[in-house]
Amino acid sequence: MTHLEVDGVTKVFGDPEKDGVVAVNDLSIDVPDGDFLVLLGPSGCGKTTTLRMIGGLEDPTEGEIRFDGTVVNDIKARNRDVAMVFQDFALYPHMTVRENLGFGLRREDNDMTDGEIDQRVTEVAEMLEIEELLNNKPAQLSGGQQQRVALGRAIIREPRLFLFDEPLANLDAQLRKTMRTEIDELQSQVGITSAYVTHNQEEAMTIADTIAILNDGKLQQLGTPDQVFNEPANLFVAQFVGSPDMNLYSGRVTDSGDDYAIETDDTSFEIPKALVETEIDTSDVLVGFRPQDLYQRAARLTEGPDVDAEVRVVEPVGTEAIVHAESESGDITAKIGGFHDLAAGDSLTFTIAPEHVYLFDAETEELIKGRLMAERAEDAPTNGVEV
Amino acid sequence: MATDTQDPKSEFRKNQSWLYDTQSGTYVRKSLIGLLTLVVFTYVLFPLYWMVVTAFKTTAEIQQIPPTVFPEDPSLQGFRMVVMSSLQTSGYDAFFEQSFGWEISSAIDIDILTLILNSLKVAVGAGLIALVLGTGAAYVLSQREFRGKNAIMSLLLASLMFPGTAIMVPEWELISTLGLFNTHLALILIYGAMTSPFVVWLMKGFFDDFPDSIVEASRIDQCTPFETFWYVLVPMARNSLIASFIFAFLLAWNELVFALTLLDNSKFTVPPGLLTFVQGFNTQWNVVAAASIIISLPVLAGLAYIQQYFVQGLTGGAVKG
Repeated sequence: MTHLEVDGVTKVFGDPEKDGVVAVNDLSIDVPDGDFLVLLGPSGCGKTTTLRMIGGLEDPTEGEIRFDGTVVNDIKARNRDVAMVFQDFALYPHMTVRENLGFGLRREDNDMTDGEIDQRVTEVAEMLEIEELLNNKPAQLSGGQQQRVALGRAIIREPRLFLFDEPLANLDAQLRKTMRTEIDELQSQVGITSAYVTHNQEEAMTIADTIAILNDGKLQQLGTPDQVFNEPANLFVAQFVGSPDMNLYSGRVTDSGDDYAIETDDTSFEIPKALVETEIDTSDVLVGFRPQDLYQRAARLTEGPDVDAEVRVVEPVGTEAIVHAESESGDITAKIGGFHDLAAGDSLTFTIAPEHVYLFDAETEELIKGRLMAERAEDAPTNGVEV
Repeated sequence: MATDTQDPKSEFRKNQSWLYDTQSGTYVRKSLIGLLTLVVFTYVLFPLYWMVVTAFKTTAEIQQIPPTVFPEDPSLQGFRMVVMSSLQTSGYDAFFEQSFGWEISSAIDIDILTLILNSLKVAVGAGLIALVLGTGAAYVLSQREFRGKNAIMSLLLASLMFPGTAIMVPEWELISTLGLFNTHLALILIYGAMTSPFVVWLMKGFFDDFPDSIVEASRIDQCTPFETFWYVLVPMARNSLIASFIFAFLLAWNELVFALTLLDNSKFTVPPGLLTFVQGFNTQWNVVAAASIIISLPVLAGLAYIQQYFVQGLTGGAVKG
């Protein structure tokens, strides 16, 4: 039960004066007690370094890390009372599962007797359903079982913090989904503040209370999964979060009274000013459409852009399909239903509700207008029905 | 070539060489490999074979020209001489004469059991020194960054390249100054120092390949550096440690020059002890061979038992898993 604060932390590998590599740059994150923080970003963005600094495996070059208000920079990893799950599980290969689980408890300054430790090991093993594996060595276990042991080793000590370093990266897709849910359940059950590193945005979206998106060592956005999806702080976040990738086009904005008129190479449309929170003071913008928000043009829809495109590939994913098509200004990807009569070479017209259009400043790449969530979109003029 | 359409396998690619694609080629290939194996086998094992047959020959047969490949008149004379010499030297001759009426008289006065015990003492001592110093040094050299690390590693490697005899005189002076002349401790120290560099290199390879995350996991599991070393690294390094120990042990067991120069007869280890059986023109080679066999037995037995670990230890650094 810890309130974790990362305050202005910078980590430079090598000599900061000369050719040091800045892994983490002035990062500040506040994680309330019991929160599940996910550090999300591409490879080399500094997310793992951040986690390791929280755990005490790396020393910050600058800034403070605080547990419940106490600065822990100078406290060694072994004294921080954190537990960590590693990507490669890092089980002790020469010990049985029972010994692996109990190892931390035996090293700790506690008054537990062998019997008590054994009882605790059994409890945790039951919780993770690995009690029949207790006498096996890690090499005899499958990936998923090793993962459970690694989890067990973390929760058995009831630490102040859980740290997860891409714990699911070495598992197959099916197992990844199951374990994701289990980790989520387990964390809410024990209520221990957690930090979780992943490069998988889907994993981050499903598991997080708060997502911190990092790029090049800098924090891009800190927010709930909804926030980072609907109101990405900038272009990077918008492109990193969400699958398939957002469609982006450069466009020009002009003020036309009650609306903003937007023009791209393919289409022109209007967005009511009521939908845009801030004044648009630039003419060059980037227009973004989420593939999920696009749908095929229906006759009764009048507002919103029309994008004519020619279908290249249809990738069915169950009830929907991801359609890759070619428009005048480039590729467009849409995730739509009712795809069965579509084939490569067909022409079709996509459209999107103005509420769902993203606008970014072309120069600063900052967000101008995000995707309005359903409940807020109700206030806005209705444009039609999604097919 | 896929020309024979009758053959259902003809559609598969052949190796397209006579040696691999025909029955007779296969015979030639296998015979060649067998022959080569036989040559290598003979090359390696002939000296051992010669030692064994010599031990069972009589003195007369050994000097016969041309030599016999197999003893024509097998005899245990050599072994008897070794046993008698040992009994006489260790003072059991009178006991045997009184109890069994066996008369023991030997021109050689070497007690083979004492030789073995001396050698064991020296070899185990040197092995332990090499293991403790070498592993500790290897751990630090592998895990920590500091100035002069490469210089130390190169120096250790260079020290392996000196023949022992090159530093004979200074070693002799050193031992003499320390007042350790004619003690087994002198040999233990010298052999330990001679073998530690190799152990450092072997164990450094192991620690370099050691997954960082396991060390980190132990730190997170609240281990001090020593606890990490003792509870995690050492048990995982068991095979490499055994390999290191065997290496140091065998070097100490086989070393002749230092043992011969730093000890006198009463404290001899195996190699100089065996040398005393060689007596100019009068050498009884069957006795030397018999003594060699007897001396090899405890080491052979020990090595046969731990050989499994030895092989794993040497390849442990190279092959993960």
